[in-house]
Amino acid sequence: MAELTFTPVIGIEIHIRLKTKSKIFCSCSTNTDAPANTNICPVCLGLPGSLPRLNNEVVEQGILTGLALNCGIRPKSLFFRKSYFYPDLPKGHQVTQCDFPITSEGFIEVHDDNGNLKKIRVNHMHLEEDVGSLHHSASDGRLEGADTSYVDYNRCGTPLAEIVSEPDVASAREAVEYVTTLRRRVIYSGASDVELEKGMMRFDANVSMKCSDGRWGRKVEVKNMNSFKALERAIEYEIKRQKKLMLNGEEILQETRHWNDAKGVTSPSRVKEFYRKFIVEPDLPPLIVTQEWIDRMKAKMPEMPDVKANRYVNDWKIPREVADVITDDKNLAEYFEACVSAGANPVRASHWIRTEVLRVMNENQLKIKDFNMKPEVLASLVSRVDDGKISTTQGKEVFDYMFANNCSLDEAVAKLGITEGGVAGNALNDIIQAVLKANPDVLEIIKSGEDKKGKKLKFLQGLVMKETKGQAKPQEVAQALEEAVKG
Amino acid sequence: MELYELNLYDVIEGLKAKKFSPSELFESCKKRIDSCEDKIHALITRTDDFAKSQLDENPAGLFAGVPTILKDNMCTNGIKTTAASKILGEWKPPYDATAWKFLRDAGAVLMGKANMDEFAMGNTCGSSAYGATHNPNDLSRVPGGSSGGSAAVVSAAYVPFSLGSDTGGSIRQPASYCGVYGLKPTYGMVSRYGLISYGSSLDQIGPFARTVRDLQLVMSVIANYDPMDSSCFRNKNHDFSHNENPSIKGKKIALVKEFQDFTLDAPISDAMNKIKKILEDEGAVITEVSLPIVARYAVACYYALAMSEAHTNLERYDGVRYGYTVNDASSLKEMFERVRSYGFGSEVKSRIIAGTCLTEPKRCEEYYVAATKVRTLIAQDFAKAFNDVDFILQPATPSMQPKIGEVDDDAMKGYEADLYTLPVNLAGLPGLSFFTGYSENKLPVGLQLIGPRWSDSELLHAGVVIERHTGDPKIPDLN
Amino acid sequence: MKLTSEEVNEIALESRLVLNEQELAGAVRYINNFLDMLDRFKELDLKDVEPFSFAEAIECPLRDDTVVAFKNTEAILRESEHVDGPYFKVPKIMEE
Repeated sequence: MAELTFTPVIGIEIHIRLKTKSKIFCSCSTNTDAPANTNICPVCLGLPGSLPRLNNEVVEQGILTGLALNCGIRPKSLFFRKSYFYPDLPKGHQVTQCDFPITSEGFIEVHDDNGNLKKIRVNHMHLEEDVGSLHHSASDGRLEGADTSYVDYNRCGTPLAEIVSEPDVASAREAVEYVTTLRRRVIYSGASDVELEKGMMRFDANVSMKCSDGRWGRKVEVKNMNSFKALERAIEYEIKRQKKLMLNGEEILQETRHWNDAKGVTSPSRVKEFYRKFIVEPDLPPLIVTQEWIDRMKAKMPEMPDVKANRYVNDWKIPREVADVITDDKNLAEYFEACVSAGANPVRASHWIRTEVLRVMNENQLKIKDFNMKPEVLASLVSRVDDGKISTTQGKEVFDYMFANNCSLDEAVAKLGITEGGVAGNALNDIIQAVLKANPDVLEIIKSGEDKKGKKLKFLQGLVMKETKGQAKPQEVAQALEEAVKG
Repeated sequence: MELYELNLYDVIEGLKAKKFSPSELFESCKKRIDSCEDKIHALITRTDDFAKSQLDENPAGLFAGVPTILKDNMCTNGIKTTAASKILGEWKPPYDATAWKFLRDAGAVLMGKANMDEFAMGNTCGSSAYGATHNPNDLSRVPGGSSGGSAAVVSAAYVPFSLGSDTGGSIRQPASYCGVYGLKPTYGMVSRYGLISYGSSLDQIGPFARTVRDLQLVMSVIANYDPMDSSCFRNKNHDFSHNENPSIKGKKIALVKEFQDFTLDAPISDAMNKIKKILEDEGAVITEVSLPIVARYAVACYYALAMSEAHTNLERYDGVRYGYTVNDASSLKEMFERVRSYGFGSEVKSRIIAGTCLTEPKRCEEYYVAATKVRTLIAQDFAKAFNDVDFILQPATPSMQPKIGEVDDDAMKGYEADLYTLPVNLAGLPGLSFFTGYSENKLPVGLQLIGPRWSDSELLHAGVVIERHTGDPKIPDLN
Repeated sequence: MKLTSEEVNEIALESRLVLNEQELAGAVRYINNFLDMLDRFKELDLKDVEPFSFAEAIECPLRDDTVVAFKNTEAILRESEHVDGPYFKVPKIMEE
């Protein structure tokens, strides 16, 4: 019988922290680096009698996020109370839009294994409040099993956008491309900086397996992935684990598993799946978003990074890999496009940015915003190298000199004693005559015809090139030298 | 005449005219409380010292130096607030409820926090963790609930006015039991910020006083926009100024057809006839409206929604951040279970369980969601009625004040008794509970006038008209 | 009887309430009577009825995104017996 094949069926839930000054329902600061439990008030601590007040900026950024995911924005949405008992949840329920969200469906495009674009459908994006953070004394860094937990409510009430995908993801690689593209688009939209190291993007994945013999494995929810790498590893681990079980004809339990990044394994969560129910949040009337508001937000939306990258590849024939690198940073992409509109050849400019600009960025830990070389300047340098006025090697020296000394292009060229266009004509002949004069013996040997292999001639060429400081074109030198030798 | 016997209006005038000083008034009220509180037990917390400190700062404003009392489910900064539950322990809120802030800014002086049913769940004051309150008109009887303490302190003249809250009748029923005036304002009229929630979409703060004019005075201060409450009215002006001789000439005042078949205690049906006569004499047209959905479904709808909201409002009481707690629990679950099982009284527990049950994923559609739809029909029922009439006249309760401890062990029967008050909360309407006189055995009898949303001030004008015929309630002699 | 005492007890535990026998018996009677009362809803055709959420068509007011620190955080922390340094300390989070 034919070998069994397995198709992973993966859905991904993403939480992204939005970029507001104050929390979603109160005026406390969203600064989670502040000393523990200093950014708290009766509202975010759910003190008896307190009531929520929705932050306008959260809605604006929610709309931007929705648009970045190609979602429709719904004119009316509601908040609900999602109940479960946990110490990081001071009201005993989380206020979330889950059932009646601000957006309808959307999608993100990724490449399948054959390099073709495929849509990962986004079911919806909804707004909700984050919970407090728990610090705990468990040896393996897990919540469960810790003897005591310490609660800090600074994060409690900071605004989140939860993005729920359809189970359209077929591999760990696709998952990573999905979240990478999605993150880029959200950053471009301006809704959030999505700084991964600050935990501003968290992932859960629903993984199940379809076997070629028609069997379907049960859905397993994997939680606690806080980086792209963790997401990739956790999914790969689950796929292997479930495949093995199915090959051995074993049951896959429908369960929630916890990703342990240190051990690189998933294990059944010892916390019983929370009991959840929803009622309408009676303290928040319906959220109304007018078409006029949506249009205003649409006008704010810049070209999305993957669209940009495709344009670079299709219109400017820039290699996909380079296009991705440049569009990864909105400011870098803008810098690049400024170079092009200043007249630089797009392919060349993209290579200069990919190699030289990014090199000095990294060497000096700079952001492109702080880069002292105006795009017009880089553009003219690229052009001069293109027209052969300056050799590539010289071009790189000029680039470094300009960066180091923060000076103009011409200044750098002059300081480096570069003769644009190189040494030729009379200047070249003068140098040749001088070289011949200085090496009469060598000249003799050549004239006598003993220099069969032309070694001596090459030797003289070398001397001439040296004298021109490499600013002459080798073939010109060879030609002029032969004529000079013939006399 | 003692100063404590003065109505709010006379107190304000007297203070303005310097006929007496705020501290003389304070001492008079304090003496009254000292002499009666053992018999009535209307207060959970007395705040004499805080009142003194307020007087030391020479309060200014409309209510400068006027003593008042709040139901103990309204947060008072630095002053113990219990909602009559063990679970809040000795909790001192770090902030003031907005309604109290408005009173405080107007110069009102806090004498205490009034007893109530635990988390406002009840209609006798019997479910308080701090013991029962007695009706000043007959100490063997209940003051009603849940704002029983707030009604009793005005009836017994501890203070000229107080605040209560009304989720399904908790102002109007005790007002009529205690023989005082009570207004349940339109939902959204008074900020709920700082009011410990029971059923958030039904709760509303309102005043108790011994005259309708006094209610107008209190409303003019507390019915202000508050951005802290997202359900609080915006861009609306409400004029609660007193009108010396208002008229209800030509107003259409209806009785509810479906309610005619229900039996009432004799004094209450007598009062209905008496008031009908008064209204007709004043030129009003007595007519009838039909509220079929209200009559049959309001009680079930109300309790389904109140409990669904209540159980989520009570999820926060876990002993971690405030109130009663335990320190030797070996797991979090144990801690939560011990705190909540000890901290909540049995009525509250029953309602939490019911609310949890109704909103469970597998029952949500059948019960919770169904109730929210029935509520829509109930609101439409009233909307239709108020197309044809100006006010609806009906009892506040079907029966007279029961004896303390005389409780029906079938809770549902007790709930049915709220049929006259709770539909008003479901539709977010204003309801005025007014004094009509005394029964043969000297028990006050109250009735209720209901209007469309935002008709609160018209309702009070009508109250003034009725008051002219019924006269003000007598202050019971408790010495 | 719509709910057995086992079911009611399960619901109670979900609400973090542990009932003694007498309380449980009371709760079972209470909840079943209550559910019977709610059966009245079945007489109504609610298919096309909009769920009621607010007393009138008001929309959610929106607050400006400005930070106003709460002055009295000390008073909040003072109320908890579980404050340990700057944190709230809670027992181990295990649910067997």
